[in-house]
Amino acid sequence: MQNFIEFRNIVKKFGAFVALDHVSLSIPKGAFVTLLGPSGCGKTTLMRQLAGFSEPDEGDIIVNGKRINGLPPFKRNTPLVFQEYALFPHMTVYENISYGLKLKKISKEEIKQRVDTMLEMFNLTGMEKRFPKQLSGGQQQRVAFARALIMGQEILLLDEPLSNLDAKLRVDVRTELRQIQQRLGITTIYVTHDQDEALSMSDIIAVMRSGRLEQVGTPWEIYFRPANRFVADFVGTVNFISAQVLLAKDGMLTLALQNGRELTIPQGEQAEEGSGPVTLVVRPECIHLHVPGEPDAIDVLDGEILNYSFLGRMIRYWVKVGEDILIFDDANVDLNGARSGKVKLRLDNNRLHYLKDHGAHVVA
Amino acid sequence: MSTRMTAHESLREMKRLKNEPLLLLAIIIIILFIGLFVVYPVLRVITFPGVEDYLKLFQRSRWLKAISNSLQMTLLSATSCTAIAFLFAYVNARLDVPLKGLFRFVTLLPIVSPPFIVALSYILLFGVQGIITKQLLGLRVDIYGRTGLWIVQTVTFFPYAYSVIYGVIRSISTNLEYAAYNMGASRWKVFRDVFWPLCRPGVAGGALVAAINVLTDFGNPQMIGGDLALLPTEAYMQISGWYDMKTASVLAVALLIPAVVLFLVQRFWVGKRSYVTITGKETSLNPFPVPKYVKWGLFSLTLFVSLFILLVYGTLFYGAFTKAWGYDWTLTLENIKYVFEKGSQIWNSIRYAFLASLGAAFLAVVLAYIVQKKQVGINKTLDFLGILPGAIPGMFLGIGFVMAFNTPPLELTGTSAVMVLALLCWNIPTCYSSATAGLQQISASVEDAALNLGASSFRSFKDVIIPLLKTSFMSSFVLSFLRSVTCLSVVIFLYAPSTTVGTVSVMVLVQSGQWGAAAAFTIVLISIAFLVLKVSQWLLGKQGITLEL
Repeated sequence: MQNFIEFRNIVKKFGAFVALDHVSLSIPKGAFVTLLGPSGCGKTTLMRQLAGFSEPDEGDIIVNGKRINGLPPFKRNTPLVFQEYALFPHMTVYENISYGLKLKKISKEEIKQRVDTMLEMFNLTGMEKRFPKQLSGGQQQRVAFARALIMGQEILLLDEPLSNLDAKLRVDVRTELRQIQQRLGITTIYVTHDQDEALSMSDIIAVMRSGRLEQVGTPWEIYFRPANRFVADFVGTVNFISAQVLLAKDGMLTLALQNGRELTIPQGEQAEEGSGPVTLVVRPECIHLHVPGEPDAIDVLDGEILNYSFLGRMIRYWVKVGEDILIFDDANVDLNGARSGKVKLRLDNNRLHYLKDHGAHVVA
Repeated sequence: MSTRMTAHESLREMKRLKNEPLLLLAIIIIILFIGLFVVYPVLRVITFPGVEDYLKLFQRSRWLKAISNSLQMTLLSATSCTAIAFLFAYVNARLDVPLKGLFRFVTLLPIVSPPFIVALSYILLFGVQGIITKQLLGLRVDIYGRTGLWIVQTVTFFPYAYSVIYGVIRSISTNLEYAAYNMGASRWKVFRDVFWPLCRPGVAGGALVAAINVLTDFGNPQMIGGDLALLPTEAYMQISGWYDMKTASVLAVALLIPAVVLFLVQRFWVGKRSYVTITGKETSLNPFPVPKYVKWGLFSLTLFVSLFILLVYGTLFYGAFTKAWGYDWTLTLENIKYVFEKGSQIWNSIRYAFLASLGAAFLAVVLAYIVQKKQVGINKTLDFLGILPGAIPGMFLGIGFVMAFNTPPLELTGTSAVMVLALLCWNIPTCYSSATAGLQQISASVEDAALNLGASSFRSFKDVIIPLLKTSFMSSFVLSFLRSVTCLSVVIFLYAPSTTVGTVSVMVLVQSGQWGAAAAFTIVLISIAFLVLKVSQWLLGKQGITLEL
């Protein structure tokens, strides 16, 4: 696919603070790209460079083959949905949604028609004359979406638009939003610190930290093949298990765990010399309970349940294994309640991922 | 290192101004205006006397006495103002008692009144011809001096402290107190450990506002101070009695120093110590009820003070319709007729106040917008220019204008222009803080949203900023108007016979013992101020805007 938006070596400093440190990112047309990271990582700053609210100190921003550095925000055609919505408090719903079209000197009839389409799409019909403060949070948020989408542009920017909604509504809106985005084929950049939103909506996730990109990839890659400890830890719950490589042969890797047990896993794409320390990245759902009666394989871990948390569809356990505490999810919940005492655990060898050098932060 | 980098960045920001000529022009005009009409007059006053003139301050015991009297009176009155203000604020914000409407009305009255009104009324009540002292009790007491002034200053200026303290108490969530009760604290401990510490910044702020007003007040001391030497009245005497500008300047500088200190403390020390955060989300429970005897005790105290203030204003009203106070109690319309004969002075009051407030509000909005929303490299300097006049006592500004503009090329003394300009400068800080507060409520993203949808800088200013600032513009305009109509200290040195205003007339009438006419003049001034306040509240109310004073 052809790259529609490109950030090339963007540097942005605020005084001595480096907000963006040589960030390069390419975005194909029609893609839903999420900038994910903790607060202060530079994700919003990067988006604001594209919208033109601030200018990068170095680097180029390319949209559709044209360099747009220096263009004032009102000439960029990059509608943005703000985190706190930024609706104009002195304008009605209708005036808010139509404001951008009015500036473009579009005829009253066409504005009316396009606003009506938006009102219908976002379930706001009948609320045209209300002021923002007369709307609920969810309604205000839909007005903000309508105000941006009505511009009919090829780009849509979303700055944590769901963070002010309650949990259930958030899940509904993100499904709806993803459907609209796919239907209209708008290239979308989405800023969030919420891993669930990122995983559920994106084509591509770019994980950021301290002004740098840590990893760019599909949700599957980010979740199951994190580039380093930071990405693994930030996206989802994770267990890190130290191990030594014993043997690399035929695409398989044999590892020695600290308790002396051995483990053989697929080598994946990484080349391995055949020795040295690695860190295993083990998601809670990649650990299974070892059913008594099965042969006691070489890779079974002995542990003791310390604590549990019942979540309905599964139970999360904290299990002490040697010196470590492992978190594992048991999706096989039965009516008898939680287990306790000593258990045997088994790692799902095919879904394990390992990091070299103890998973140091390697820039992607 | 870091300062050099900021200097470098400032320079870069200033260079960018070349592309925005309109903005650059606005900045230049504002700097020139404030430089010429605020900074220059102040410097004139400070540099006019020589070293030997300043040394005289420490040689004449009367001047030393004036300094110590001024400071003592400030300390005393500010303390009593704060105590009464806290009482009113607590009762209004936290107690479930009747007559709250009356209590609020009483705290609003002094804001629409000339500052010397309480002194005048106090004379009518307790003076030689006083209705209570002479008529009811048959006493002959000397009320002029320290005690009389103290009472008068307390009644006059406690509302200024009240509005600060009330605002803080209102914003303290009662949930915090419930949390303390929940952990087992007694009423007294909740007050001492939770409520009072949270109030403290507000109380300190209110006390300082009262102190600044008491220190720099001219009207009340002039009318009731009697023999008590105070800095503002002594400076006035030097000019009006002896035409001694040098000594007057020295005394004015002696007044400026504590005023600036109080101002700086208020702005930078107390301002930063506020724990109050307004989230707009929090829902507070009703205040935890206090014991009955405390509640009704506080209520009675508040009611007593309120009735006293009503008496003060009622007396004035009565005086305005009485033939000869103290001798002939016949009701008459003569005094009101007299005021209308002097109608041009009332008209001057209105005219100057209108122009000055309009100018100040406009200048302040532009200045605040530039400081808050534009990066021009000298934002801090511009911000300083906006608040600077607030540190200068009105009387000091008046003297400064006399000295700066009585000779060519800018010979303005005696003109209407000088009255308007002086009042305008005096009102800049009021309007500037209001505009700044208004702008800070407009989140940056709202303007960004307009730009993002395709509005140019000018379009977003016009479509978004201006409509959203309407409230703060109107309230600062009305407040400035009220301040200007009732102002005496700034204009006392600047008026000419043809540019006399109402407040000056009242002072002259009081000094010549024409109580009835003075009271009538005051009543008319208050009525105008109140009318303007009510009409603008009504007009704005129709557009769904509440006027904040």
